[in-house]
Amino acid sequence: MTITTAHDVPYLDMSAPHFAMASEAVRDARDANWYARTNYGLAVLSYEDVSSLMKSPKLIQGSAAWPEHNGVHSGIFYDWWKRNLLVLEGEDHHRIRRLANPAFSPRKIAALGDRFESLANELIDGWIEDGQVEFVEGFAAPFATRVLCIMLGIDESEWGTINRLASTVGAALGVTIKEDIDEVDAALVELQEYAERLISDRQQNPKDDFVTRLVEANREGDRLTDPELRNLLVLLIFGGMDTTRNQLGLAIQSFIRQPHQWELLAERPRELAKAAVEEALRVNPTTRWVTREVAETFEHKGLVLEQGTTVHMFTYASGTDPEKFANPERIDLEAEHAPHYAFGGGVHHCLGHFVARSDMQAALPALATRLANLSVVPGGDEWMPDSGNTGPVRLTIAFDRRATTADGQQTA
Amino acid sequence: MKVWVDRTLCENHGQCAIAAPSTFEMDDEGILQYTEGFPADELEYIEDAMDVCPVQAIFLKGDQ
Repeated sequence: MTITTAHDVPYLDMSAPHFAMASEAVRDARDANWYARTNYGLAVLSYEDVSSLMKSPKLIQGSAAWPEHNGVHSGIFYDWWKRNLLVLEGEDHHRIRRLANPAFSPRKIAALGDRFESLANELIDGWIEDGQVEFVEGFAAPFATRVLCIMLGIDESEWGTINRLASTVGAALGVTIKEDIDEVDAALVELQEYAERLISDRQQNPKDDFVTRLVEANREGDRLTDPELRNLLVLLIFGGMDTTRNQLGLAIQSFIRQPHQWELLAERPRELAKAAVEEALRVNPTTRWVTREVAETFEHKGLVLEQGTTVHMFTYASGTDPEKFANPERIDLEAEHAPHYAFGGGVHHCLGHFVARSDMQAALPALATRLANLSVVPGGDEWMPDSGNTGPVRLTIAFDRRATTADGQQTA
Repeated sequence: MKVWVDRTLCENHGQCAIAAPSTFEMDDEGILQYTEGFPADELEYIEDAMDVCPVQAIFLKGDQ
């Protein structure tokens, strides 16, 4: 790799124990240059450059070799990973995306908004009398998992099993994948069996639901095969659960820092629901970076990016870039802001983002209209490292119960 | 009916070019190029493209 101004290029040690995305080191690097060198390739820091490189046809998704890079060369997870939409490229990727996308239509997802809102309120009912709650266990995890159950038509009472299986498979994204791989493979087999039962059921008994739409997807006679359907449903669970759970916790963390914005959301929940979700994603995204790989050597702003170079798009750094946003680290529900890249971008843009947006647009207003004066209970929070995919492990919050909702209804 | 893309919203993600490649295409620089007119049997795929657009920047306009 040729670096024309190597002496000016900041270096970030992403494997250092205390490395954090939300840190002076990353902000200073972003102020100094549009990219940094790291021990895992290049990091793109500025909004402008993340925006253009995230969607560049010269870059491909960079995670296909993740299992091999961590010593896993075969097995159930390995086989699934190699065939999942996350790592497929070109027409192999486009064909599946073309067939799957209509099931994720925002019009179809919007029809589930009322169920997502009822679910949020049901969960809040479970602890609102207590004045405090461990938010991950009491809300974020069951909400994220039961949303998937609603989407997939799985009985919501099975959410605990789905949550456990998906979390176990999620360990495959950690650096301890090799140690965990037997458990990962076993959990993945169970998830695949769930998916196969759903597919076979909808093939025999079609319903007006998401899985049926995938099963019946047909483009000029081309359809998703049973293994493709199974891989896709597993991907939805794998990609949709931890991310939504973590993002809800991060949103609460951000709003606790800005009680005035929380009050605004409580006063105008329907109007500001969308902004609340977008701003939380912008200033505090769970996906802290998105990985790409240079497919063909090209030049960007005088830097030659050699084929094969790993490039990390730093979503948090780009979403809080002062060159693009005024008061960049602060949520502003009334501002008109440029789009963030918390869902990635380009042909690999997150497939499930309309679901995630829709369910969080139900969750945050439900929480804001019922809970006031949020605070973190001292010692009650524990966090994953602020890199990769982050979020709270535990987040115990105290709150006051609002007397009435924004609609003027008694809450109980 | 004609296709119209609001360029102030368009982010050039390219999802439309996956959904309806006869109408939408990303050029070598990754910028969207598209044709406004389309045959009747393309409408279904254009509607898929409108749905899938992450920033909902694609619209159909009447002939009048």
